[in-house]
Amino acid sequence: MPLNRQSRGESLEANLAGFTDLLRSEGLPVGTAELIDALQALQVVDLSCRSSFKTALQTTLVKDRRHYDSFERLFERYFVPPDILERHRLEAAERRNRMQHDFDEANRSLRFKGEPLRLSPEEMQLYTLLPKEQQQGLLRFVRETEAGKKVEPSFKPLLETVVKGHLRYCRSKMERAASSEGVLVSGGGPGAGKGAPDNNLRDIDIQAIREADLSAAQDLIRKLSRKLAAELGRGRRRSSRRGPIDLRRSLRDNMRFGGIIFILRHRRKRRPKQQLLLLCDVSASMQRYSTFVLQFIYGLQAAVFNLESFCFADVLEYLSPDLKERGHLQQVLDRVVRQSKTWGGGTNLAVALEQLLDDHAALLNVRTTLLVVSDTRTVALTRSLPALQRLLERVSEIIWLNPLPPEQWPYYRSVSAVGDLVDMWPCYTIGHLEQAMTRRLFKQRRVLNNGWPQCNPV
Amino acid sequence: MNISLAGLRKGLTRAGYICDECVVLTVYLALKLQKPLLIEGEPGVGKTEMGKVLANILNTELIRLQCYEGLDENRALYEWNYQRQLLKIQMNRAREGSALQEEDLFTTEYLLERPLLKAIRAASETVLLIDEVDKCDPEFEAFLFEVLSDFQVSVPELGTLHAQNIPVVILTSNSERELSDGLKRRCLYLYLDFPGIEKEVQIIKARVPGIGDRLAWEIARVIQLLRRQSDLRKKPSIAETLDWARALIALDRNRLDGAAVADTLNLLLKTRQDQQLFHRQIGPSLIDQELRRPADEEESCRCR
Repeated sequence: MPLNRQSRGESLEANLAGFTDLLRSEGLPVGTAELIDALQALQVVDLSCRSSFKTALQTTLVKDRRHYDSFERLFERYFVPPDILERHRLEAAERRNRMQHDFDEANRSLRFKGEPLRLSPEEMQLYTLLPKEQQQGLLRFVRETEAGKKVEPSFKPLLETVVKGHLRYCRSKMERAASSEGVLVSGGGPGAGKGAPDNNLRDIDIQAIREADLSAAQDLIRKLSRKLAAELGRGRRRSSRRGPIDLRRSLRDNMRFGGIIFILRHRRKRRPKQQLLLLCDVSASMQRYSTFVLQFIYGLQAAVFNLESFCFADVLEYLSPDLKERGHLQQVLDRVVRQSKTWGGGTNLAVALEQLLDDHAALLNVRTTLLVVSDTRTVALTRSLPALQRLLERVSEIIWLNPLPPEQWPYYRSVSAVGDLVDMWPCYTIGHLEQAMTRRLFKQRRVLNNGWPQCNPV
Repeated sequence: MNISLAGLRKGLTRAGYICDECVVLTVYLALKLQKPLLIEGEPGVGKTEMGKVLANILNTELIRLQCYEGLDENRALYEWNYQRQLLKIQMNRAREGSALQEEDLFTTEYLLERPLLKAIRAASETVLLIDEVDKCDPEFEAFLFEVLSDFQVSVPELGTLHAQNIPVVILTSNSERELSDGLKRRCLYLYLDFPGIEKEVQIIKARVPGIGDRLAWEIARVIQLLRRQSDLRKKPSIAETLDWARALIALDRNRLDGAAVADTLNLLLKTRQDQQLFHRQIGPSLIDQELRRPADEEESCRCR
């Protein structure tokens, strides 16, 4: 039997309800109807066959391919065969023993004049997690301090402060290393993700979001993009203007009046399909903004069919296939960053725009709106402007989302040069990003003085 | 639907529909639980074909509803035969002493059945294929709820019509638009991915009679190479693989090389950009290199 909990006498229903709870906690929309379907499906399949059992659950509980990986992971974690469960138990016990041993070892070594240093359990744990060389470096420092001339026991608090400071530094370094790859780190110690509330995060400069709030910011982005995707999928508003008369429907609907045309029926107006092109600057200065924008785009890909994404720093790269790949958001972004040859490089806008014009000409037409996310700071600005001018002639409009706050715009020549050619909006908070995407995707025209300061170069 | 898992598996193989066990099981569950099956996947992976093959296996009629933007209930469910109703009214005017009532005009005699109603009122079990459901408007998608959950439709003049025989419903989607949760909730779900190399060879051999083992393997290998190119706008699907294989047979090719691929590229890559990308990033030389490379461990099951 694939169900380990069955051996403990729990019912299949309770087991499955527990599993659906777990799926829900990962964001999978599993309702009671799905749970009932799953139970019905399990009555039809061979429960002794693990793959049949898994397929039955997958086909009834998961309704989106993007959730397959989460399902897979959770299934393997939840429905563990007894032998593997036993192995996991042994491994966990071994891990606990090892950790306890490291803890005891740290307690024995981190001493001053025979007295253990007063460190919190978190600090001790951090010490045990440090690489061996760093542990030895810290120990050497404690020993050398201890061996110095005229070293009083009263030095201990001072030494403790220095050790704690060093551990804090190591911790922030580890966090920075994890986030410097361009991908947001989740976690970050107890209380992470419970930082600033959504509304505050929405209005904070993305660059200024604290490490502790990154996880919450990531959640907010996911929430916003999902909401927008749902709206896009659900409601395409109808125009209040009517189309031409539909004679067929008019005749049919007026049959009840004896063939006298009493009510007129109109054809629905067809709207031309718009193409949205996103060009995202991923140079070193833009990394954090770009990561947020890409997360937003990832959430929208499923709902917005005609959305193509590119990133650029010194060259242009086509991102859409990577963003459309299946997988957990973190993994997808990780892959995008890893595979990118341009991520974190210097900005050469001219090269990117020229590549877009030459290699992706088919995407540029009168129905295309080009959305550029960049701070405009680039080498070869004079070469960029003619390329931008050429692009303007090819597409319907170009909208520039600038992560620099508007008060800084006057200090950059590139901002005024680009702003002379295209519509430029500030976009340095999650709220700005949401507004920009919402307005563009719902094809609402920008209204002047409606919360969108215009480019006002000096 | 009275069919066993083994019978379904055998039927699919006999019809040349090569798929993984999890696909067979999902279809079996849809049949057994009498739930609609929503199949998503890239164009050309065999979603529509599943409906056709099922009708073939179950020896039933296939009723197909092709969705498109603007599709409404009149084209999907029923329409009153208004010309006939009009004629009836005119004929009645000429006749003296006749008392034509409104309800006389709204009987099944004047009803034009469209695919959904046809499937509901069919005297025997049918396969209802609702193709490319993502192309229809959200309003129509909501309209489908009643049919998919209760297998009934409401015609205001006639009341609620219940299915005499619950049809096997297959919905397909290319994921051009996110479908509503309500629709998904009413269906079982299957995502058809591109097959692995071994499966692809089997598909080619099953669907292209007369093809040699070597050529089938080389075709599958080149297709897999192309699908690995993440920059391609439209990756070659199974349908394109089969067309290509048939074209190569017609050209009397029994081996493949870079030049042959370049010559027949139009059958595989259908945009100018993808073709340019092929010449820029792959080219005949890389194809030759790929074909000379000894076979390594390819993933055998990519079914999700």
